[in-house]
Amino acid sequence: MKANFFIFRASEKPCILKVSGNYTMKEKYIHILGIALVALGLGFVAFLYWSEPRTLAEVATKSQVVLGTYEINKDEFTRGLALFRSDDFIGARAAFDRADPEKRDANTQFYTAYSYYRQGWGRLSNDDTLFKPGLETIDRVMILDPNFRSSDETLTMKTASELKNELEEGLKLTPDDFNPMKLTRERK
Amino acid sequence: MTKITEHIIDIDTSLEPARDGAIELVPNPKTDSQKPQLIYLLLPCLFLLVTLLGGMRLGAADNAFFFLKPALICLVFASVLMILFFRSSLLQMDGWFSDRFSTLQNIANAALLLTMFTASTQLFNSLLPENGLPFWIVGFCFFWTLWNNLFADFDTKKLLRSLGALFGLAFAVKYLVLANLTATGDTSLLQRIFDNPAKEAFTWLLDLPRYSVGTGYIQFFAVAIYLIALFLTPSTTKK
Repeated sequence: MKANFFIFRASEKPCILKVSGNYTMKEKYIHILGIALVALGLGFVAFLYWSEPRTLAEVATKSQVVLGTYEINKDEFTRGLALFRSDDFIGARAAFDRADPEKRDANTQFYTAYSYYRQGWGRLSNDDTLFKPGLETIDRVMILDPNFRSSDETLTMKTASELKNELEEGLKLTPDDFNPMKLTRERK
Repeated sequence: MTKITEHIIDIDTSLEPARDGAIELVPNPKTDSQKPQLIYLLLPCLFLLVTLLGGMRLGAADNAFFFLKPALICLVFASVLMILFFRSSLLQMDGWFSDRFSTLQNIANAALLLTMFTASTQLFNSLLPENGLPFWIVGFCFFWTLWNNLFADFDTKKLLRSLGALFGLAFAVKYLVLANLTATGDTSLLQRIFDNPAKEAFTWLLDLPRYSVGTGYIQFFAVAIYLIALFLTPSTTKK
């Protein structure tokens, strides 16, 4: 067995150790805090410039989207659904926009597209100024949820592809548009 | 058999006279210009605020936020500005990055200089007109000035004075002169031409964007905060 002993020898008086311990530690924490502050700050600025919110409320909703906590406003959605069923399509779309300002909910966007279809549908001809935004909206639904299927039994078309097909056909001018039997078709 | 080794170590005897055997905590001497809180907390906040505000505009119609990303030329100008800071000793390289510092301190210093770079970029984004002929004219003036400064003899005070004058003039040109030539009405085109044909003509000719008056106020504070932060930045972080 081997043992080592260290003897500190100074002059006649015992030595004093100068320790600046907790002040060095404080600077270390300040460095860490500074680095964290810079990382968070630059991240927040980059988020704002990437998402480009128009108002302070949009900052909150876009933050929810990024964090994955975004939810639609169910009261506004219910109000919009009631207006949709009573054929007030403009009011319905306004309510759906308030319910889903970030346009991230497939169900809400499906109803919005359907409202464009129902409002723009005509027995003789369709309103292209409504069918076009309807088509853009249904494309958005297909991106959000390619397998979306509505559970609403009052709707004739339940899937995004059915509605998209109807909107696309309505925008085209084909020989079938001159078929007199077209006058007997019903809005879906 | 147990072998015992005894080492006698002589320590430095140039110590303070002994007291009653206690270990004494001696605080580091404080230097007013190098407090860590100022350097690593306040300065990043100021530069980050400039980074945020520099690209922010308010729409003329409804004061909606617009966040304009900086043009590539702003990054070039900011890089030249950082070189100027080191050349004029506003920043000393060995005072910010040194092998005598801990890794943490070097990283913290790098983070602070990164915020200074982003703030400089956004400041140029703030002061350069967004598009059209004014963008090219003011951009050329910036380029000319910075290019000349690269080859001139500068000390810190002269550089800060030069930058203050440069940014002040650019601010006046963009937010006082050009802003007053811009028509910001939200009526129809014909109505705006009828109400103020000269402003509409300048707006169309110079391709001036229509922003709210509040934009000028925001950018004023962005420029002021940037210059204050530059003034507070120490040339070295060594103690």
